[in-house]
Amino acid sequence: MDHDTREMLLDTAGRFFAERCGKEIVNGVEKGAWPGDFWTEIEEMGLPLTAVPEDKGGVGGTLADLMAVLRLAGANAVPVPLAETALANLLIAAAGGTPASGPATIVLGNLSVDNGRLSGKVDRVPFASVADRFVAVANSGGKFVVSVVDKANAKVKAAPSHAGEPYGTVAFDKAACAFSGVSTVSAERALELAALARAMQMAGAADKVLATTVEYSKQRVQFGRSISTFQAIQHMLAELASCVAATIASAEAASRDADEGGLADGGSFSIAAAKTQASDFAQRICGISHQSMGAMGFTHEHVLHHYTRRLWVWRRDFGSESFWGEKIGAAVAKAGPQALWPSLTSSKYAA
Amino acid sequence: MSIPKLEFPPFHLPPEAEALRGEVREFLKKTLPAVKTEDRFASWNTRSSDFSRALGKRGWIGITWPKQYGGSERSFLDRYVVTEELLGNGAPAGAHWVADRQSGPLLLRFGSEEQRQAILPKITAGECYFSIGMSEPDSGSDLASVRTRAEPLPGGFRVNGTKVWTSGAHHNHYCITLVRTSGQHGDRHKGLSQLLVDLKTPGVTIRPIINLAGRHDWNEVTFSDCFIPEECLIGNEGDGWLQVTSELAFERSGPERFMQNFHVLRELVRVLGRQPAGRAASILGRIVARLWTLRQMSVAVAGMMQGGKSPAIEAALVKDLGTIYQQDLPEIARVLAESDATTEDDMADFLDVAQYATMMAPSYTIQGGTTQVLRGIVARGLGLR
Repeated sequence: MDHDTREMLLDTAGRFFAERCGKEIVNGVEKGAWPGDFWTEIEEMGLPLTAVPEDKGGVGGTLADLMAVLRLAGANAVPVPLAETALANLLIAAAGGTPASGPATIVLGNLSVDNGRLSGKVDRVPFASVADRFVAVANSGGKFVVSVVDKANAKVKAAPSHAGEPYGTVAFDKAACAFSGVSTVSAERALELAALARAMQMAGAADKVLATTVEYSKQRVQFGRSISTFQAIQHMLAELASCVAATIASAEAASRDADEGGLADGGSFSIAAAKTQASDFAQRICGISHQSMGAMGFTHEHVLHHYTRRLWVWRRDFGSESFWGEKIGAAVAKAGPQALWPSLTSSKYAA
Repeated sequence: MSIPKLEFPPFHLPPEAEALRGEVREFLKKTLPAVKTEDRFASWNTRSSDFSRALGKRGWIGITWPKQYGGSERSFLDRYVVTEELLGNGAPAGAHWVADRQSGPLLLRFGSEEQRQAILPKITAGECYFSIGMSEPDSGSDLASVRTRAEPLPGGFRVNGTKVWTSGAHHNHYCITLVRTSGQHGDRHKGLSQLLVDLKTPGVTIRPIINLAGRHDWNEVTFSDCFIPEECLIGNEGDGWLQVTSELAFERSGPERFMQNFHVLRELVRVLGRQPAGRAASILGRIVARLWTLRQMSVAVAGMMQGGKSPAIEAALVKDLGTIYQQDLPEIARVLAESDATTEDDMADFLDVAQYATMMAPSYTIQGGTTQVLRGIVARGLGLR
């Protein structure tokens, strides 16, 4: 996608999310209402097919194009499985399949494929209770297999996330697959791509938290002046801005590295570092924001919690800071002290 | 709802800068002298004129400056790579650091042709070193309140006053000194000028100020009826504030604001051994991710500067994040090593490193702009003041 096309896509998507994804939709999802019209509009814009090649019926954008869309989705608390479906479609296309319409989600974990049938159980699958189908990647006999299972052939136990999104446990027992194909994308890589998607959503949400908090501090008057004029508040917001800037910078750098390095393994280290950073900074971001916005920001009425609760939940999605941190730490330790600096400058686990 | 954007667009150092990195690494492998453990913490505070001269010979000091002044006319990004390699490898780059980073660029931008010709070639040769004459006993964060006075006389100025925290003045040749040349103390930004002061000038007295770690980096520099010739005025009389602020942008944006105690992290990797427990690996990885992010942001700032922008707010933000990271690092490392170091020998060595780093840590968030000053700048960038 050339620069102008991309800018146009992002501009359109950004305005669409801002106009259509109001608090009624976000709160509605939390109460169990599926926003069917909203989802249909998202599909009509082609967003779940952003990174699917044109010959597979997609938009033909890059991985970075998709990630930029997901940052916008995060900045608007889009409460439908856009990230999950877009990644699922990308995985299906990479395995030679053609994505179908409808909401989907990705299932990554301890899964096995035997005679074309999928088995295993995975917890905390995002949007498990609203997905039409599940897309899994399993490593099978030295090959990476992408399997698509319709919801009729899976067992879902709903367990909504603390952000009110319809997460759940998904179990397959020798489930028949609607599609199955060998892919260049391993199960580990699929997890990286999902972690990158979440890091970008977190970047978007963090940005929105900052904007909301700054705006509020300018409007809120106490002691006869807007609280943004108090040095104590200014310093808190400056720290908040730093944490947010770091979250965005690391996610964007990882998105670039993943895109440039190729679908199979580009930007592995950068993604791990970015998800670690996003998860690590989330608490400080939420903490400063809530402190600055006082009781108002703690109400259900205000939209701040749409973002802070997602940030808290997303920390754990597709690998927490402990998970990715351990991966980085183990690799750095294994490579030894002399490799540390060259690894950092080349954004690799071990240079 | 819209607020000013603080973005750090991902930036790639260009291939020629990465090629230069290889050359610098090769050079350091051959020339790095044996440096005492305690000196490795502050590569830009550790001096070796032999090393500075060797670096100068390669054309890596004043690397961006015009060739007529001994520079190499390379990009700001090449300079970035040289700088971070010196820090990443613990090179004793302290002698020429300030001259390369801010004094030389200041002279290039505002100095007279005579000043440039007389000074810059000596800096690029690694032979001429500079101190920063900004802070005073009563002027720290509030720099505009300086009291050192330069009274105009026929042919020059009579300078009286005191500068403090003047790093390396007991070794260096010159000190670019912020003085009041006209008006009154309360005039703030007006009436300030910068003088190029030869530290051997009669009337200049240099006394050590020992820091809490027992090091003699700082000095108190006193001027008593000290005559400074008029050709030593830098730029225009009265432009001192404008000049000093541009100097501070150079001072804040570099990788030294998060790489100063990199040695602690490398030592931590050593003592944790090749197969640390999962929990220890996880904590280590989180620190590494934080440092990687800081570097991405700092490279992005370098890219903005190369592109002709003046990212003063972004630089302040990176310095704030970077110096806080540097303060956290020795503490995280100490606690982690206590529980997870692999052998007793390693541990003893490491505790020395961590102890020293802990003592140095308070300075990181004070020098070159305190956390509070930086947050004020970021707050202004957010439109809050």
